Amino acid sequence: MLKKLLKHELKATSRYITPIFLILFLFTILNKIILGLDIFKGMFKGALKIIPGIAITGYVLSLIAIVVVTFVILVVRFYKNLTSEEGYLMFTLPVKSNQLVNSKLLIAMFWTVLSILAVILSLFLLFMNEFDPSLFFGSIREIWEGIPQASRGNAVLLAVEIIVTVILTLINSILQIYVSIAIGQLFNGHKLIGSFGAYIGINLVLQILFTIAVAVTGVVFHSFNDIRDITTLFFPILIVVFLVINGIYYGLTNYLLTNKLNLE
Amino acid sequence: MNTILECNSLTKRFSNVTALSNVSFTLERGRIIGLLGPNGSGKTTLIKLMNGLLVPDAGTLAIDGKKPGPETKRIVSYLPDKTYLPEWMRISDTIEFYQDFYEDFDANTAMDMLKRLQLDPSRRLKALSKGTKEKVQLILVMSRKADLYCLDEPIGGVDPAARDYILNTIITNYNENAAVLISTHLIADIERVLDDVIFIKEGQITLQSSVDDIRMKEGKSIDTLFREVFKC
Amino acid sequence: MQWEINSDRPVYVQLIEQIQAGIISGYFKPGDKLPSVRDFAADAAVNPNTMQKALSELERTGLIYTNRTSGRLITSDTKLIEDLRKQSARSQIIEFVDRMMLLGFQPDEILQLIEQVMKTMQKQ
Repeated sequence: MLKKLLKHELKATSRYITPIFLILFLFTILNKIILGLDIFKGMFKGALKIIPGIAITGYVLSLIAIVVVTFVILVVRFYKNLTSEEGYLMFTLPVKSNQLVNSKLLIAMFWTVLSILAVILSLFLLFMNEFDPSLFFGSIREIWEGIPQASRGNAVLLAVEIIVTVILTLINSILQIYVSIAIGQLFNGHKLIGSFGAYIGINLVLQILFTIAVAVTGVVFHSFNDIRDITTLFFPILIVVFLVINGIYYGLTNYLLTNKLNLE
Repeated sequence: MNTILECNSLTKRFSNVTALSNVSFTLERGRIIGLLGPNGSGKTTLIKLMNGLLVPDAGTLAIDGKKPGPETKRIVSYLPDKTYLPEWMRISDTIEFYQDFYEDFDANTAMDMLKRLQLDPSRRLKALSKGTKEKVQLILVMSRKADLYCLDEPIGGVDPAARDYILNTIITNYNENAAVLISTHLIADIERVLDDVIFIKEGQITLQSSVDDIRMKEGKSIDTLFREVFKC
Repeated sequence: MQWEINSDRPVYVQLIEQIQAGIISGYFKPGDKLPSVRDFAADAAVNPNTMQKALSELERTGLIYTNRTSGRLITSDTKLIEDLRKQSARSQIIEFVDRMMLLGFQPDEILQLIEQVMKTMQKQ
């Protein structure tokens, strides 16, 4: 069932997201051409200088847009598909509501990661005129060899921890939206405002908790003495905190959508 | 077992309003039952409870002996009284959707019905009129071989020809193994199709009987009786 | 077939009456095959259980019978149909005469009036 939900979720979201990727691609090509003409052939003189200016501005905007618009589309998707009339279709399917949430979370993560990769790829395409693989991997090897033997294991651990933290952060930002929407849908006729309110409210609570936590740990720990503290203390604590918060968001979302569903 | 749905002392409250109070009844397979009551009497709340969209505050509700959940959603085919299909989908997409999620869905039945209405499956729902959208929804719901059909106001707000079409679809898709629950406040048009009726008023069941019994005992139509019982 | 069902009498009784009328008038000929219960019910826009009840009653009186391979058929017993026809005529006449007597007409008056009206009708 989850597979079918994923397939359907992908179908529904790619309708809106794929064109955005295409636009980014077109802008990338356009800019590559214009930049090429400008830098190497000095084609744009005087008043025409405005053309590459516009092209670059448009390009930067599209870089920002692809990530922002993708995110907005995914948020709207969750809201519309589960709390508007489409909810009558989704919540009467022979699936558990956590499967509905899972499918949306996974596809949201998929598209978000893809949008960031698209931005990176676009920048590469634009600025790498001559891509020399040996140079690229050579510099990576140099960095690796620059790390003292003893700390190499730690460096790998650090890299893993960073990746895990990034993934958990991504999940966290998506789940915070979902739980806000799940709370917001409780308010008859004010679902949208309720969702925004819930999101802001959660942020406020987190801010307060974070400030308290920093104050507490500031007293207990003076500073991080060496790199080992970062990998054995800082990141693990951070990861656990994220896991707990994500778990709360996930559990609350499912509880509300199963027991307090408020379709109008 | 012939009983497909059984509820006992079912109660549901919202804030300070009691939408359903101590509701008990059974639905038998092979019967077409009318859930009749004015707007706000609790019909929609009851149907949402049957479909797992709401959770009871007290009492029990069992479909084929099970509490509402994925197991019962597999055998209950629900037609809400609003347009609930995503507007961007084509009719063919909705058929594929139902086929994917419901084992008991028969795409051929659905395609036949669409053909008879001369509806092109490649059309997007966005481009259809409200009445046509409602017909598509009805076709999808009735093309499932479910054990319980829940139709919420299927003929409200449609023209007489569409009404005939809808009643005709319900009758021709009848099978002795399934129960059909039709919730409506438009009784005159539908009484000839009903086996049994349940009257619901302000969250409580006031009458449950077969249509023939009422006609013989009271000597009047269900519509007439309804107007008397629910006089403002 | 044109059905006229009203809602204050049991539907199955009206179905029986109208099918019988169809047999008498020749709309359903002896030996004709009837549609399936579901299709017949859809045609009359009534509940299939109700149509089933009506057909079962008609089977009991012998006007319809079930053949395992062909389904439901109208009886070929022309005498039975003729009896039904006569019986139907009788009830119509009794109803008419009753109404006329309520209006104050005497039996010989009634007969005279019938003859007069029928002559006029034949001329048209």
